[in-house]
Amino acid sequence: MKNLLNFLIKYSYWFLFFFLEIGCFVLLFRFNSYQGSVYFTSANQVVGKIYEVSGGITSYFHLKSVNNDLVDKTIKLEQQVEMLQKAFLKVLKDSAAVPDLKDSVLSDYIVLKANVIDNSLNKSNNYITLNKGSKDGIRPDMGVLNGNGIVGIVYMTSPHYSVVISLLNSKSNISCKIKKSKYFGYLKWEGGDSEFAYLKDLPRHAKLALGDTVVTSGFSAVFPSDMMVGTINKLSDSHDGLSYLLKVKLSADFGQLDDVRVISKNNRSELQELERRAKK
Amino acid sequence: MITAYIKRIEWFVGLVLLQVLVLNNIHLLGYATPFLYVYFILKLNSGISRNELMLWAFFLGLIVDVFSNTPGMNAAALVLLAFVRPTILQLFSPRDVFDDMEPSFKTMGVGSFIRYTIVCVILHHATLLTIESFSFFSLPVLLLKIVLSAGLTVLCIIAIEGIKK
Repeated sequence: MKNLLNFLIKYSYWFLFFFLEIGCFVLLFRFNSYQGSVYFTSANQVVGKIYEVSGGITSYFHLKSVNNDLVDKTIKLEQQVEMLQKAFLKVLKDSAAVPDLKDSVLSDYIVLKANVIDNSLNKSNNYITLNKGSKDGIRPDMGVLNGNGIVGIVYMTSPHYSVVISLLNSKSNISCKIKKSKYFGYLKWEGGDSEFAYLKDLPRHAKLALGDTVVTSGFSAVFPSDMMVGTINKLSDSHDGLSYLLKVKLSADFGQLDDVRVISKNNRSELQELERRAKK
Repeated sequence: MITAYIKRIEWFVGLVLLQVLVLNNIHLLGYATPFLYVYFILKLNSGISRNELMLWAFFLGLIVDVFSNTPGMNAAALVLLAFVRPTILQLFSPRDVFDDMEPSFKTMGVGSFIRYTIVCVILHHATLLTIESFSFFSLPVLLLKIVLSAGLTVLCIIAIEGIKK
């Protein structure tokens, strides 16, 4: 008995070693699939706070390119305003139509501003953390976009932070269409380069060309239609030969995300309810 | 005794912050990321018991994990390193110093310390990157990643050691 005890004490480090390693692997497999892991990961309050401070500092380094983008955008918008004013003047003559037009554009969507505080490109499932959460009105399944194009879909929220499934995630699956010809398919990322994703299930008879613009289809309640996604970079056939497989160059630069907008349809719950009932 | 502990904690916090906020964002050539936090385990005194060493390693790894969204990954690799470190240290330390010493250029000699560092770092990086890539990358890419990352980490450690002397 005494020998046994001595033996156990002498080699206690073996037991501790296996105990710790088993603990590590339990964590590894339990949490890396991400479900229910919000407590342990970025959305966790403390970690979120530290990343927010670090994100606040690093956001200064991108200011110059953000500025350039903004100037470009301002010019575009000014041109648009001019065009719209002309169109508006025409419409104004028909006084009954004006209030209608205004209301339908403004009341349809809620738009919230948020900042990216954590982001990744090089994993197989990338997530983005935002500095706004359920207290600011963000709910799961809202769409996220920046000035250049769509970025992802909100996955989970805590009171002050939210986690977004980036387009660069194997779980992401977004309905898109070709802007010119209106044919639609769905957008998937297949790992590798963070600049490209693939548009699948496009019918064989669709008319398209290199460089065509890909926009959201507006079929889901997440994104309104005609939001910029990217441009066609390469045409090829799908593996079964029944449809096209298009390589799409994403217009949002995931390497330097900072200011993003979170968007949601006002009567979204109504639409989702209807869809759910239809599927039963 | 207490000052030694405070100093140890300072290193602990400093290395975690450095790793999490700066080094995790470095992907040199798309492959090499230095994991400098192993330095903490390398520098613990040789007289420390294996159990204590492994507990330090576990918590250090776990904290780095929590920040990099990879629960268990760094902790598993670091505990393995802590488990074999006494053996490696014994292998490389000169014959005449057996009692409690802090591994460094001064106590072990430049050559032995560098060899000790290289073996430890490669062991740790090989474990960590293998767990990380599991099935996502091919073997040549994995090997390249291990060699480049380990090289970078060893360079950083030698630099810090050189400055401290």
